[in-house]
Amino acid sequence: MSPAGLAWRSLCGQPARAVLGVAGIAVVGALLFDMLLLSRGLVVSFRDILEGAGFDVRVTATDAPPLLGPPLRDVEKLTAAVRALHEVRDAVPLRTGRAEAIAADGSVLEVELFGSGAREGVGWTVLEGEGLNPSGDLPVVVNRRLAARLALAPGSKLRLRGTCQASSAVPPVELTVQGVVAFPFDAASGLTAMTSFAGFLQVCAGEEADLAELLLVASRREAGAEGAVAAIRRARPDLNTFSNEQLLNRLQRTDFSYFRQISFVLSSITLFFAFLLVTTLLTVSVNQRLGELAVLRALGVRRRRIAAGLLCESALLVGAGGLLALPAGALLALGLDRILRAMPDLPEKLHFFVFEPRAVLLHVALVALTGVLAALYPVYLVVRLPIAATLRREVVS
Amino acid sequence: MPSFLATLPLLSALAVTPAATGAPPSILVTRQLAETAGLNVGDVVSLSCDPSGAAARPFRIAGIYEPTPDPMRLVAKRFEARLHLPDMIGLTADPRDPLSPESVTAINVALRDPADAAAFGRELEARVPGLVAVPTARPDDGSGPFVVLERFHLAIALVTVLGSTAFLLSLMVMRAEERKETVGILRLIGVSRRHILLEVLVEGLLIATAGAIFGVLFAWVTEGAVNRFFQWRYDTSLVFVRVTAGIAGRCVALAVPLGVLAGLVASWTLLRRDVVALLRR
Repeated sequence: MSPAGLAWRSLCGQPARAVLGVAGIAVVGALLFDMLLLSRGLVVSFRDILEGAGFDVRVTATDAPPLLGPPLRDVEKLTAAVRALHEVRDAVPLRTGRAEAIAADGSVLEVELFGSGAREGVGWTVLEGEGLNPSGDLPVVVNRRLAARLALAPGSKLRLRGTCQASSAVPPVELTVQGVVAFPFDAASGLTAMTSFAGFLQVCAGEEADLAELLLVASRREAGAEGAVAAIRRARPDLNTFSNEQLLNRLQRTDFSYFRQISFVLSSITLFFAFLLVTTLLTVSVNQRLGELAVLRALGVRRRRIAAGLLCESALLVGAGGLLALPAGALLALGLDRILRAMPDLPEKLHFFVFEPRAVLLHVALVALTGVLAALYPVYLVVRLPIAATLRREVVS
Repeated sequence: MPSFLATLPLLSALAVTPAATGAPPSILVTRQLAETAGLNVGDVVSLSCDPSGAAARPFRIAGIYEPTPDPMRLVAKRFEARLHLPDMIGLTADPRDPLSPESVTAINVALRDPADAAAFGRELEARVPGLVAVPTARPDDGSGPFVVLERFHLAIALVTVLGSTAFLLSLMVMRAEERKETVGILRLIGVSRRHILLEVLVEGLLIATAGAIFGVLFAWVTEGAVNRFFQWRYDTSLVFVRVTAGIAGRCVALAVPLGVLAGLVASWTLLRRDVVALLRR
């Protein structure tokens, strides 16, 4: 009988034990798979959002996180200077503030307001109408939630009162809705509106002109993001210029590090748990079959063959459990992702658990390694088995 | 006098200068800032709100403090300084804004009865239009980031319990299988199933209790190491893991019945069998 056949017979001889072993490995394997998804999920998801915005380089005044530091000054000149660089395809300044949207019945809604420089229409998905076109009257594009709350459609009028400064009491300004769009960084419950720079300054009257919190830059394909970053740094070394990749690296070291660490800790624990489970099952199985194994050895079956049988038994347990772990892990990841995405103010498109083929490969490799390691001790027991003494003990008992 | 100090969280420019002859105003700086910038008590530093360092003013470091740990700012570098409010206004006031020297960002109010916070806020907002009064206690609506994290940890714990239960059940099944013949002999000499089951129950209870206590003790002993690692990693005095009596109680309350149940289920599969089958005769 082949080692695989021997292993199969051994498992079939103890079906309850085998099923429980496979179930245990499937559960811890599912957790391991989820932790592998979590370890890079935020980075992958955030990269998708950043790239979906259509800009691969960002410029801020200091190295404070984007939108939290001091603003860029002389933005008109800065934008022109950056646009003039050979490595840059487009540069768009962005201002942020808050406003109150006034409904027809006089009620107000808190709105996150953006003021954007002229752009080529990238950075959002247009759901209705068109993107921001600064040539018309005071233009505005709104997200779906704001459109639904105020029954807005392209061509509608939206009255906004700026609340950019806590102590200001500016009159409302009427803007023309040009489109309903999905912004990449929209929070699940956020109400967002984006207007032109001129529109922003009218809504947030009293705000200093020629400022921006962020300069969004799109590099030319031939130069790439790193080339554009280098060129902007050479032109304006006093500013903080970074590519999407550099931002992601920074976030991975800081804001996302908690989930990376928790995934590392839990992955290690689950692997140890799987190792312990398989080692215990195989060791007990070997101990219970010492007599049978001694007889096989006495009949001339070689050690290598019996050891291979044990490795196959481990592979069957771990393989079946590991395979079941993938769909179970995927279902579990959906639930865990839903729990974590309930955090306030997260971008709607951000996910904590993101499927990647490399996670499956890593999962398979780790589970296989665990299976091999877990079989080592039982194999050692079999290899060192004293045939005569074991047979004598078996007969006497 | 903390009530007269204001916080300047982001220092746009900071430079250490030799002690000046005049007495510059005193400030406090965080331990993290002092360590990174190599600052000591008595040093005179220049603070400016402008990234270029323009209009800098000298301040003397009167003390170094550990900032109150804030889980919401876990990954933020706590480079902070505390200034006397007039000094801070002098440093940050916008000369183009006549109201600037008279403005503060927020006023902290301590109420005699904290339960009045919401009513107080409403009354204040009604009396001073444009003012926003917010209670410092977060509403318990289940949407806070730490409530969500707690839910996530609970879900992970439940999955771990599921895996552990499968592990425990297989161990108990193996244990029961190993004792098949002993149980058969006991049955043969007249010991009732109920008696054997009771014995298994007591044994399971002892093993489960010992395991649960070991688990709690292990968590309690490693608590310090986990906290020290994360405190070092994030340069904070925040406590990440705390084994409280409530958590220990919950662990024991969950682990002991599960252990006993696993033992009973495994043994019952054995006790159901015929004595002859147990003895393989």
